[in-house]
Amino acid sequence: MEKRGPSGTAAAARRRAAGAHRRADRAEALAAQQEHFAEKTGHPLHLRLAETHRKAAAAHRSSANLQDAYARRLESWQSPADPPPPFMSVVADACGTGSAALALLGSDHSQLAVAASDGPSRAAQDLEYVLGEGPCRDAAAGRCRVTVAGPAIERRWPGYGSAVTALGFGEVVAVPLETPDGCLGSLAVFDPRPGIARSAVFAEITEALVRTVLLGPDADPELYGGTDHRDTVHQAAGMVSVQARCPVEDALALIKAKAYADGVPVNEMARRIVHGKLRLA
Amino acid sequence: MTTPAQQIADVFVELSGGTAGAPLEVPELLSTLARCSPRLLGVRAAGAVGAVDDRAEPQVAGSEDGAQLLNQEALKWREGPGADSRRSGRPLPGIAFDGQAARQRWPRYAPRALELGYARAAAFPLRTGERSVGALVLLGSAADAPVSEEKAALAQSLADFTGLVLTRDHELHASRALSSQLEFALNSRVIIEQAKGVLATRHSLTMDGAFALLRGHARAHRRLLSDVAHDIVEGRLDLG
Repeated sequence: MEKRGPSGTAAAARRRAAGAHRRADRAEALAAQQEHFAEKTGHPLHLRLAETHRKAAAAHRSSANLQDAYARRLESWQSPADPPPPFMSVVADACGTGSAALALLGSDHSQLAVAASDGPSRAAQDLEYVLGEGPCRDAAAGRCRVTVAGPAIERRWPGYGSAVTALGFGEVVAVPLETPDGCLGSLAVFDPRPGIARSAVFAEITEALVRTVLLGPDADPELYGGTDHRDTVHQAAGMVSVQARCPVEDALALIKAKAYADGVPVNEMARRIVHGKLRLA
Repeated sequence: MTTPAQQIADVFVELSGGTAGAPLEVPELLSTLARCSPRLLGVRAAGAVGAVDDRAEPQVAGSEDGAQLLNQEALKWREGPGADSRRSGRPLPGIAFDGQAARQRWPRYAPRALELGYARAAAFPLRTGERSVGALVLLGSAADAPVSEEKAALAQSLADFTGLVLTRDHELHASRALSSQLEFALNSRVIIEQAKGVLATRHSLTMDGAFALLRGHARAHRRLLSDVAHDIVEGRLDLG
């Protein structure tokens, strides 16, 4: 039985780190073997395979480092009255910022779930959710990295841009979380350390998130308790669809519009509806 | 005698899916290995067995009918050089089937191999890191010379290469399955929450009460919760 509480979750993170280190070691050994074959046979195929293993090794190593950092953060977490530090906080840290968020997206690039390191990055995800435009959606739709800074943010996304700038962000980088034949969503990093978005570290963190956090052997798409599925928003959409006699998609749009117009977080707006404090129809 | 480098290179290219680079499916991969090995390694026939996943049935291929048949029987009997090499993860150098050792080790396989015209065998595990995911079995007739050290090294490289391709293919399938499971789980959760909202409003229930109603209906009708939820949200079904 897993020990509950911060020391139990820290121990679990240490275990995941050890597993990821082992997988990284194994992949490095396989890469070395292929490099040896390449030397012996002179065939470029072995070099290609070696590269594949090197890439896997880097992703596992990066995952191990994230888990180690997460364990350290949980171990030094002093105030049990507050919620535990989210896993995304170590992802943000590795990118040289305090603000990073991950969005799991549906095939229409709409948000299905979200996890954020702090309040401002969470607010940015909410804006993207409510307005239906923004870097995560663009990165997933185009399957490419999106980097926008300064005044270009407002030019690119008229609604989202001004609101996210008002949160105090001057730069946003979003990368798709790609699988061999699809895309799970995007990682958005706000005001990253200069240069990091173009570095191997960033690519390795993204790979690590896909390979080992979301899909791998130790995968937990709940990000160890940090993922929000917006259950209340969907419950509210179901309610409003009956009250307003409209399709659930329209009800959801109505809730988002109302939240944006009133300047209230969409989850809060939904809570008011579910608790009967507000009727949209 | 050395094997021409070009010929070796061609086999590696073929195993990795040809110049088009599209990865081979597992049965094609094993049959390519079995088909290319005899000429390259100077033996009469070859067989390949692959089992990357413990839960799945191992697959076999042979360069000729006899080798294919022998391989299938080896699998059924859990005997033979391929089975032993796969289990131990170590190559088995040439073994003659008419010797006392072979008959004791493989009471059914050895006589059957002789009957099919094979006098000796060598086996090489398809290794991938710490595990072996299959084996390459070289089969010689009485007239064939034993496999030389140089050919054995080449056979092991071919086997390892095939092991790598097999594992990569397996990982790709596993990753596809995982990502579609994740997407399904995320979408189901959305539709179920929406259905709870619909039922709660229609029947003046709490969210927990709405979920109980939904789950009860799904169980009674042996349907997926998410399918029932879909019908409710789209107005095709009302409970209560």
